[in-house]
Amino acid sequence: MTVSRRTVLKTLAVTGAAGAAAGLATPAEASHEAVKLAPDAMGLLYDSTLCIGCQTCTVACQRANGMPVDKSLQEVNGAPYDFPTDINGSNKTVIKLYREGDKYAFMKMQCMQCVDPACTKACMLGSLHKVENGIVAWDPIRCTGCRYCQISCPFNVPKFQWLSAVPRIIKCELCRQRVDGGKGSACAEVCPRSAVITGKSVDLLAIAKKRIAENPAKYYAEVGEDGKKVPKIYGEHDGGGTQTMYLAPAGVSFEKLGLPKLENVPPAQMAMSVQHTLYKGFIAPVVLYVAAAWAIVRNLRKDAAEEKAHQKEGK
Amino acid sequence: MSAEARPVGGRILTPFFYALLALTAVMGALVLYRLFAGVGSITALTDGYSWGIWKPINVVTFTGIGAGAYAVGLLTYILNNGKYHPLVRPAVLVGALGYTLGGTSVIVDLGRWWGSVFLGFPPWYNLNSILLEVALCVITYMAVLWVEVLPAGLERLIEDGTPGWKAFATKWLPRVRKMLPFIIALAMLLPTMHQSSLGGLYMMAPTKEHALWFTGWLPFLFLVSCLTMGYGSVVAMDVLLGVVFRGKYRTHMKLLGDLAKVAGWVTLFYVAFRFAALGWEGRLGYAFQMSGPVPFFWLEIVLFLVSGLMYLAPSVRQNRGRLFLAGFVGILAGAAYRVDTYLTAYDPGPGWHYFPSIGEVVVTLGLASVGLAVFILVVKTLPILALGPGTDEKFDPSRPTH
Repeated sequence: MTVSRRTVLKTLAVTGAAGAAAGLATPAEASHEAVKLAPDAMGLLYDSTLCIGCQTCTVACQRANGMPVDKSLQEVNGAPYDFPTDINGSNKTVIKLYREGDKYAFMKMQCMQCVDPACTKACMLGSLHKVENGIVAWDPIRCTGCRYCQISCPFNVPKFQWLSAVPRIIKCELCRQRVDGGKGSACAEVCPRSAVITGKSVDLLAIAKKRIAENPAKYYAEVGEDGKKVPKIYGEHDGGGTQTMYLAPAGVSFEKLGLPKLENVPPAQMAMSVQHTLYKGFIAPVVLYVAAAWAIVRNLRKDAAEEKAHQKEGK
Repeated sequence: MSAEARPVGGRILTPFFYALLALTAVMGALVLYRLFAGVGSITALTDGYSWGIWKPINVVTFTGIGAGAYAVGLLTYILNNGKYHPLVRPAVLVGALGYTLGGTSVIVDLGRWWGSVFLGFPPWYNLNSILLEVALCVITYMAVLWVEVLPAGLERLIEDGTPGWKAFATKWLPRVRKMLPFIIALAMLLPTMHQSSLGGLYMMAPTKEHALWFTGWLPFLFLVSCLTMGYGSVVAMDVLLGVVFRGKYRTHMKLLGDLAKVAGWVTLFYVAFRFAALGWEGRLGYAFQMSGPVPFFWLEIVLFLVSGLMYLAPSVRQNRGRLFLAGFVGILAGAAYRVDTYLTAYDPGPGWHYFPSIGEVVVTLGLASVGLAVFILVVKTLPILALGPGTDEKFDPSRPTH
C-alpha cells in the first residue's frame, strides 16, 4: 500500500502542532487579568436571617419593571392566580423557602451583578454589558436571542421568554431606570424588614461585616482548613466577587439556599485565557492562513508541472 | 482530477425524493408557526436547558459530517496527496450543505433572529465571545464552500448552457480557478478556528459541565473529532454512492483504504490524547465513578476505538461493507462526543429536565431531508462525482444503471 506511513505521520504532526499551540494556552490564570470591584459599583445585600418571606419585593419588582402576568401557578383552589414560583421570563426576583426538619430559611433570587460576569463575555454583540454603577444591563437591539448567556451564567439568572415572537432576556438590572430618579431598587425600597438593602457594594460589604461582628452566632460560618469557623459573606470572593451579596443563618450553608459553590475566580476565566492566548493579536490565524496558501500554491504548481511532463511522455 | 467529474443524470423526482420534500414541508410549517408563537412553542427547551438537540445535532454534528471537505482537503492540498482529488468534490458539496443547514437551524433557533444582521457590524463585536468567533467563522466558511462548488456549475454551463451562459462560464471559470488556491487556504484555516471553538463554547460552563468533559483541551478535542467525523463521512459516503448509483459510480476502494489508515491513526490518537489529558489534569478517577453521564463517556471511547481499529484492519479496508461500517461508527463516535458535551454532560442544576420535543426532532429530520434532496439534485445535474474511467477500478458500462 502506498499510504504512506509518511502521510500518517505528517497528519499526526500537523494535528500535534495545533495541539501544542492550544497547549500554550492551557496554563490558565496568567493572561486574563482579574477585574476588581469598582468603588461606585452597586448591588444588593440580602440577609436571610431578617427575611419573613412576605414577597412584597416580588410584587414591587414586577410593578417597577412592568412585567407581564406570571402564569407558572395557573390555578390555586380552582381560581386563577398570578404568582411566580421561580425567576423566569416574567419575573426578576422571587423568595424561596429552604426547609430541613423544623429549621427553615428564606432565599431571595435575582441577578448577582458579578464583578466580572460570564454573560457579558459570552454575549456576541455585547447586548449584556456593564453600565454605570457596574450594573449588568441588557440591550434589546444587540440581542440575537442565542441564549449563550444562559449557558454561561453559573447562577442560571438570565431568563428567556419562550412563548414570545419577540422574546426578551429578563434579569434584574437593579431597577436602573429608577436609579436616575434616586429611588433605587424597588425590592429594597419596599422590604418591611430591610432584609434586602441596596447601595454601593463596598458599603454593603462593610454593613455585612459589621452585622457578623455584632452577632457572630447568628450567621453561617464555614469550617476553614485549620478547623476554625470563618464567617462567610457569599459574593465577597465567590466567582471573582459579586456586587449583590448574601448572609445566611447559622447552620444553613449557601449551597442549601441554592447558591452554587464557586471558586474565587470569575467562572469565564479559564475560557478567556485559552481563547485570548489562541487568538492573541489575531497572529495565529494570519500565520496559519499564509502557511496554508503557500503550501497550496506550491503543491498545485508541482501537480501542474507533473501533469505536463506526463502529457509530453504520453505523446 | 476534477476533469473526470460528470453529472450522474437520471430521474430526479423519484418517490424517495418526494418523501424528502414532504418532510421538508412539514418542517417548513413548524418553522412558520414558531415565528409567531416563539421558540418554546415547538421545542422542549427551558431556561435550564436553553440549547437542546438543535445545537449539538443540526449544527455541531452536521458540520462535523461536513468536515470531510476539511479533513480530505488537508491531505490533498496541504500534505500534497493529489490522489485524493476524486473524493474532494463530493465532500465539499456535503460540507456546503452541512454548514448551510447548520446555519439555517441557528436562525430558526435564535429568539431574536433579526438581530443577527448586526453580525455584519464590527463596531458591536464582543471580542471575548467564543460564540461570535463561531458565528462569523461559520458564515464565512459557508460562503467559501459554495465558491468551491462553483466550478462544477460553471463546467456544466460550458458543457450544455445556452450560448450566452457558455460565454459567461468560459470567461469566469479560469478566473475562479485562479482564485481557488487562496479560497482553499481559507477553507483550511476557518474550520481549524470554528471547529475548535465549538468545543471551546463549553469552557464557559465550568460549574455545569461534567468533569470528564470539561477541560481546557475542549477546543483541541473538538478539532480532532471533526477530522475523525470528516474521514468517517467521506469513507461512508463513497461506499454509499457506489451502491446507490450502481453501474455509474464506482467506490474508490483503494483510495478509501489509504484514507482509512490515516483515519485509523487519527482516531486512536484522539482516544490516547483524551485519556492523557484526563490523567494530566487529574480527572481520570471520574471515569470509574459509574454515575450520571459517565457510561456515555465509555460509550464514546468504545465507538472511537471500534472505528479506529476497524480502519486499521486490512480485512476491513478490502471489504466495502465493513469499510462503510467503520466510517459510520466513526461518524457516530464523533457525534456522541459532541452531543454528550452539549447535552448529556451538561447539568444546569437540580430541577431541570430535558427531552427533545417532536417539533425539535421533526425540524432536525426536515433539515437532514433538505440536505439529502439537494445533494441528490446536484450530483445528478452537476459534475461532482468522478464517474467511469479514472477511478481505480475498471468502469464496466454493461452493468445496469440506476
